[in-house]
Amino acid sequence: MNPVIRREFIGILRSPKTFGMLLILTALFSATVILQWPADSSSVSGSKSLEVFRIFGYGLLAGVVFLVPAFPATSIVNEKNGKTLALLLNSPLSGPAIYLGKISGVLLFSLLVLLCSLPASAACFAMGGISLFEELGLLYLVLFFMILQYSTLAMLISSHVQTSDAGVRLTYTAVFCFLLVTLIPAAFLRGTTFFPPALLSGAEWLRCLSPLPAIMEILGDGDVGSSGLQQASTITRFLALTFFTSLIFSGLTLTRLNYRIFDRSKSKGTITNDRELSKRLIRRLLYIVDPQRRKTGIPWFLNPVMVKEFRCRKFGRSQWLLRLIAACSIVSMLLTFLATTSAESWGVTTIGPLLVLMQVILVVVLTPSLASGLISGERDSGGWEILRMTPLSTFRVVTGKLLSVVWTLLLVLMATLPGYVMTVLIKPDLSFQIQMVLVCLFWITLQALAISAAVGSLFRYTAVSTAVTYVTVIACFLTPMLVWLAREAPFGHGTVETALLLTPVGAALNVIGASGFENYQLLPAAWWVSGIMSAAMFALLSLQVWRLNRAV
Amino acid sequence: MTSQAPAIEITNLTKRYGEFVALDSLSLEVQRGQILGFIGPNGAGKTTTIRILVGLLKATSGSARIAGADCLSETKKIKRLVGYMPDEFGKYDNMRVSEYLDFFGAAYAIPRRDRIRRIDEVLEIAGATHMKDLFVDALSRGMQQRVALARTMMHDPEVLILDEPANGLDPQARIDMRTMLLRLSDLGKTLIVTSHILPELARICDVVAMITQGKLRAAGTVDKIMQEIQQRRTFEIMLLAEDQVQSVATKVEEWIASQPTSEDPSQAVAADVVPAITERMVRFSTALTDEQLAPLLGELVQSGDTILQFREVATDLEDAFLYVANEGSQPLGDMPRASSAVIEEAK
Repeated sequence: MNPVIRREFIGILRSPKTFGMLLILTALFSATVILQWPADSSSVSGSKSLEVFRIFGYGLLAGVVFLVPAFPATSIVNEKNGKTLALLLNSPLSGPAIYLGKISGVLLFSLLVLLCSLPASAACFAMGGISLFEELGLLYLVLFFMILQYSTLAMLISSHVQTSDAGVRLTYTAVFCFLLVTLIPAAFLRGTTFFPPALLSGAEWLRCLSPLPAIMEILGDGDVGSSGLQQASTITRFLALTFFTSLIFSGLTLTRLNYRIFDRSKSKGTITNDRELSKRLIRRLLYIVDPQRRKTGIPWFLNPVMVKEFRCRKFGRSQWLLRLIAACSIVSMLLTFLATTSAESWGVTTIGPLLVLMQVILVVVLTPSLASGLISGERDSGGWEILRMTPLSTFRVVTGKLLSVVWTLLLVLMATLPGYVMTVLIKPDLSFQIQMVLVCLFWITLQALAISAAVGSLFRYTAVSTAVTYVTVIACFLTPMLVWLAREAPFGHGTVETALLLTPVGAALNVIGASGFENYQLLPAAWWVSGIMSAAMFALLSLQVWRLNRAV
Repeated sequence: MTSQAPAIEITNLTKRYGEFVALDSLSLEVQRGQILGFIGPNGAGKTTTIRILVGLLKATSGSARIAGADCLSETKKIKRLVGYMPDEFGKYDNMRVSEYLDFFGAAYAIPRRDRIRRIDEVLEIAGATHMKDLFVDALSRGMQQRVALARTMMHDPEVLILDEPANGLDPQARIDMRTMLLRLSDLGKTLIVTSHILPELARICDVVAMITQGKLRAAGTVDKIMQEIQQRRTFEIMLLAEDQVQSVATKVEEWIASQPTSEDPSQAVAADVVPAITERMVRFSTALTDEQLAPLLGELVQSGDTILQFREVATDLEDAFLYVANEGSQPLGDMPRASSAVIEEAK
């Protein structure tokens, strides 16, 4: 047996946390089925079992998306930073053998996660009305291919990053892009005559990179997934694309598993101020904010911790923020333009919900990445002790850190506002709704920030805090949507409304008039829930920081 | 701080974690401008003491004062008085050295203009002026230590507490660090330095404190500690020929055994005599004084043995440390393990 497989797989299995997680998963999957199991034997029919199967399928998809990428995302970078990769590469084990060992360990663990769901899927099957091969078997096949794709992608990212938390962050962002962003071009381009057919076909193929259309087709939600348009099976395309992309990701990772992985040029830090006059002038003309210009000191009126946070974030520097804001503005305007010039069914009432969803995705992807390591990052690097030794009060440290995230998020969200401006210009009577949506967006951002900062502060290591924060935030924002997807059955109106109150996303979609959200009364309760939850999370953060800061 | 008051005053400092006693009634004083070498094996309680001194940890009982300020109740004062350099550097990614120091300067509320000047000053003291524009995360360990020292000095503290400043440094960087610490002492700073590289400490420290299992075993100047600890000294007798070694060893053993002890004249003196044939050497350790030992050389010469050298093996801080670390279970100046192995092989 490959020693790497033995270490990776058995290493994961030995962890009590893994055991607990598998146990919880089994219980959750089983509970989902038991709760929906018909009390009356006469109601055991195809339709009821399909309802249960649908919930189970989406739950399984969510479980896999949340849990699987975290392990391979840190697999190689942890070995590299722990200096054990050098030992492995120096051993008689070849690069492919090491890779095979690592990926097999992750895949075997993922299979265990899938196996945990077997009792629940068996129960679904026992209810009848579900085909073993065409539905149940196919669901597992798609999920397995998805795991393969995400694992190879995470390993590729892990082989390029320098820290484990960067691995986790980038992997979850990439997974999110594969899952949702790939759906966007097809959604916009479908039905237009403006673009060449090859581009439309490309967008359709790109859409199939996401497992969602394939899963929806298996679970009988094909119409929702394809927006009412009939098309070729997405399952075959998904399987083919996943297989090839996994091969490409594996190949690319293998090219890194040699001495080159240790090559990292360290910038000595060229300074514009010390360069010759001509170069200084050129850079003055080309850069609004020159990243290589010597900084003046932190002014007295700014919180030094906030400035430090901006400066030590790679993309927190002014030049990167300006680029990010510009990109968001362009994308926002482009989306509105595309929506208004696409098929007739895409009016401003459709672009509104899409803009909201885009912003929520942006918040969900960006916030944990910025806020999860606020405290754990300091503890991990040894900076916390040094910060404690400065006269800065705990309040100033925490507010400085939170402000650095708040400003970044505000700037990025502000950059997406031109889309709303265009919407209001096209349809002025949407003005009030858009104002309400903006309030909802404020609460969404605050809630995501509070959860990320509080959950992230509970952990000692940045990689763990980033992974757990991503899972928590995504779960918090995705669960109401999953419940909403099953709004007709098995969940009733009351259950869906209650679930939608968990975050203000449902309220924002309700206000903007998104299809399927019209019948729920979510405001102002959603704002209250969000406010209370944010306050509770900030209280937890304060408590944790106080606990870490006191001398015991 | 008044000139009479000690810079650091620790009285019966105790720290307990449940049943485990990390510090046991530690009492210590360091005068202003002194460099204290704080020595002890891993887990002895050095870092616990330091963390209590800088206000990061609460003592179970006892008190600790720095420049008259209580380390627990006057933490704000302590933060201004003390510059603490922990073992970990605490790096921030994507920050240049000047930005890094600027942040800590701002954290200590140093006005911007003074801060910019102070950055140049501390970098000069730390010999790191050329690193000003470099990225902190691209620095080598030695460079990071210099920057860490510069960071510690940003707010011009009276007392500097440095946890393992020479850890992981190459010989040249260690020499540079030593020079820097002496320069700081010249500037009137009081320093507490922990290190495992004991010869380094012996060269720069005015006073040394040795701690094991949370208890202070010895404190004072290096010479004083040697006198306190050094109950048995090691001597070497170098001979002309290998065949003399065994007979001389026997003679030495018998001669020492015939000497009366100072406490009980009826008891024989214990001696550890080791013949090292390949080295043509007899080593022995004894508690006899110079006066008591002086006739031995005459006896050996009179018995016809050709003696090339008769000398005391100098013991250093490392020996003293090992003695203290092993709580006296191993006699001071025991044969180095390598030599013993050679002797065994020769036998």
